[in-house]
Amino acid sequence: MEIVHVPEAHELAPEDQKFCEATKAWFKIDFVPKMSRVLLTIPEFGRPYGRASRRAMSDGALTRAQKELIATMVSAINVCQY
Amino acid sequence: MAHSAAGKLQGLDDDRVWFEVAYVAGVTHGLNARADGLRLPLDFSPSTRLAAVAIVEDAAAEPEVKGVFEEIREFYAMASTPAIFRYLARDPGFLQSYWTATREAFSDRKLDRLTKEVLALAASVTAKSEYGVDLHLREARRLGLSEQGLTEALEVVQCFNTVTKIADTLLLEPDFAGLRPR
Repeated sequence: MEIVHVPEAHELAPEDQKFCEATKAWFKIDFVPKMSRVLLTIPEFGRPYGRASRRAMSDGALTRAQKELIATMVSAINVCQY
Repeated sequence: MAHSAAGKLQGLDDDRVWFEVAYVAGVTHGLNARADGLRLPLDFSPSTRLAAVAIVEDAAAEPEVKGVFEEIREFYAMASTPAIFRYLARDPGFLQSYWTATREAFSDRKLDRLTKEVLALAASVTAKSEYGVDLHLREARRLGLSEQGLTEALEVVQCFNTVTKIADTLLLEPDFAGLRPR
């Protein structure tokens, strides 16, 4: 059981809703991932965190696909259900 | 596991990629657990680790494991066999089979060997495996990972250690589950 109420996208500040839309495009999905909404519940945290994360996941010396695999590896080792 | 679903949306939609990722995760974690659990000496970095068990020296290897050791040294381009495999040689049959599985897990298939070494490094850093970080950092660099690539890989590792911890703290239930194919 989740220990918090995770806000819906429309409950977030307008500029964060825009970020959520960008996140949907980034993942090519038609919903706003729960983690984005969790992070943006306190925008002073979520905005800079989102920038760091987006920067870390962009194509660079490693491709975005390789980075998604690395992310999966971290989730697997941490046995993260989410 | 939102990111295996997210990865599938980035063109990684061949299940064989994910089997390969899982094999690398499993074998890396298995070898690291035994190496760190028994404090086997690191192969590349200076360390004060004292092994809790005896480890076969290359020169003293039984004839039946000599050939396996040679193959392992060639695979990793090392002058001496990594400590974990010298330790496994106490059961030559297990060494032979587990090594073969390890070699196949890390061989070029859908994913190339360098990518797999970067994944093994990510697994080792996340699990705080001193042995795994030492071995896979060297292997990834030897196979061509640049310092920029290393920085990027570790930024991803840090970010996903962050979000997995946040998700665990709040006991978040998965929302990418519906994206599983077929």
